[in-house]
Amino acid sequence: MKKMFAMLLALVMSLSLLTACGGSASDSDVEYVKDKGTLVVGITDFAPMDYKNDNGEWIGFDADMAKAFAESLGVKVEFIEITWSQKAVELETKAIDVVWNGMTITDEVKGLMGVSNAYCKNAQVVVTTADAGSDLKALSFAAEDGSAGAAALDAEGIAYTAVLDQSTALMEVASGSVDACVIDLLMAGAMIGEGTSYPNLVIAEELAGEEYGVGFRKGSDLIENFNAFYKAAYEDGSVMACAETYGIAKNIIAQ
Amino acid sequence: MSFWTVTTILADGFINTGKLFFLTLLGALPLGLLVCLASMSKWSPLAKLADSTSSKAMQWIAGFRPISAVMKFIVWIVRGSPLMIQILIVYYGPGLLFGLPLLPRFTAALLTFIINYACYFSEIYRGGIQSIPKGQYEAGEVLGMTSRQIFFKVTLLQLIKRIVPPMGNEFITLVKDTALVRVIAVYELIWMGESFIKKGMMWPLFYCAVFYLAATAILTFALDRFEKKLSYFN
Repeated sequence: MKKMFAMLLALVMSLSLLTACGGSASDSDVEYVKDKGTLVVGITDFAPMDYKNDNGEWIGFDADMAKAFAESLGVKVEFIEITWSQKAVELETKAIDVVWNGMTITDEVKGLMGVSNAYCKNAQVVVTTADAGSDLKALSFAAEDGSAGAAALDAEGIAYTAVLDQSTALMEVASGSVDACVIDLLMAGAMIGEGTSYPNLVIAEELAGEEYGVGFRKGSDLIENFNAFYKAAYEDGSVMACAETYGIAKNIIAQ
Repeated sequence: MSFWTVTTILADGFINTGKLFFLTLLGALPLGLLVCLASMSKWSPLAKLADSTSSKAMQWIAGFRPISAVMKFIVWIVRGSPLMIQILIVYYGPGLLFGLPLLPRFTAALLTFIINYACYFSEIYRGGIQSIPKGQYEAGEVLGMTSRQIFFKVTLLQLIKRIVPPMGNEFITLVKDTALVRVIAVYELIWMGESFIKKGMMWPLFYCAVFYLAATAILTFALDRFEKKLSYFN
């Protein structure tokens, strides 16, 4: 019994020692990422920013820029699909190093993480079936829980069903369980209309303009590093070239 | 996207589901027995403080069994709180509370499942052990067997036979509980099924149910066979 107690005590003590070490690690996020040799990028499946090609590789405007950024740091890039509502926790616990997924810059986001300069413009749009009326107050809505679209609906004082993500919101409209949903213009451009999965859906109205930024840990020195990288990439034309590839050149913000 | 492509992508997720299932059983079955024995521990360090002439309060203190009490408390916490929250705590908790590096996602999920299922299993084991008539223990003692010998040579085989049906229930629940690990982005079957919603397809998610049905069918069949094999007394 005494032996077991001693072992337990040793375990507790070594655990508390570990805790103490955690705090005293180097403060530089850049050094942390370089030491680790990988930049872990938190994303969701969100065309045209981050999505998989037929070989199962992550591509898209954000994904390609993330690869270039990792290369500029001299590290490998690793994409991890996260649950979007957990993005701040994932950053803080170092499960990921950066949130790079067409993230709308809001006051809430700025409170939770360090955000880069805005790099892309977007809008929240109302998507409905072609034959739905134009009176928003008469329609029933769906929107991604905690998204910019949901915030836009809140601002208009319109009630909505909160769903898991933007694609589920579209699915709700297509299945007829709601009349309309509010999603990103970028996503709407890629997912509705002729030649897509939802040929019968249309954009009825634009609700709110917004800007995208890349999220880092609060106070991280990666933010400065990223802003400098992005400015240089904009000036040498590689940002616009990448934007052309994914059809979002009109949305890019000059650096 | 063709039916075949969807099937291969879902099968990828199903491999993770299967890995989680088997590794959980591998860890939780023995750990559950340990938890069970600990919660049945009769060790009471204060027993000498009281005898039959002491006051009621003193007798209560003397009867206190610390190992058993701590174990029962842990089992209450684990069985009483949602598994999904436990997964989130085990994965994010060390980083949020102590700034420690996180476990890999799959490892954190597996660890949570082993602990959670060990607690459920321990109660099934306890039910099995306590269902063996006391007379058998007494008979064993009369024959000069140690309690260890009685457990392994007399109790254990009967025990296994009695716990197979309730264990089978837990196994089948476990197959479907694995879907919870997607909250920490472990890419199991349901995660893969849901990813098709983004491409405008709902049917792959429904199709996932077929995989679970197939898995439980195999499991039910195997448990049935196992039970028949054990029915040598009747």
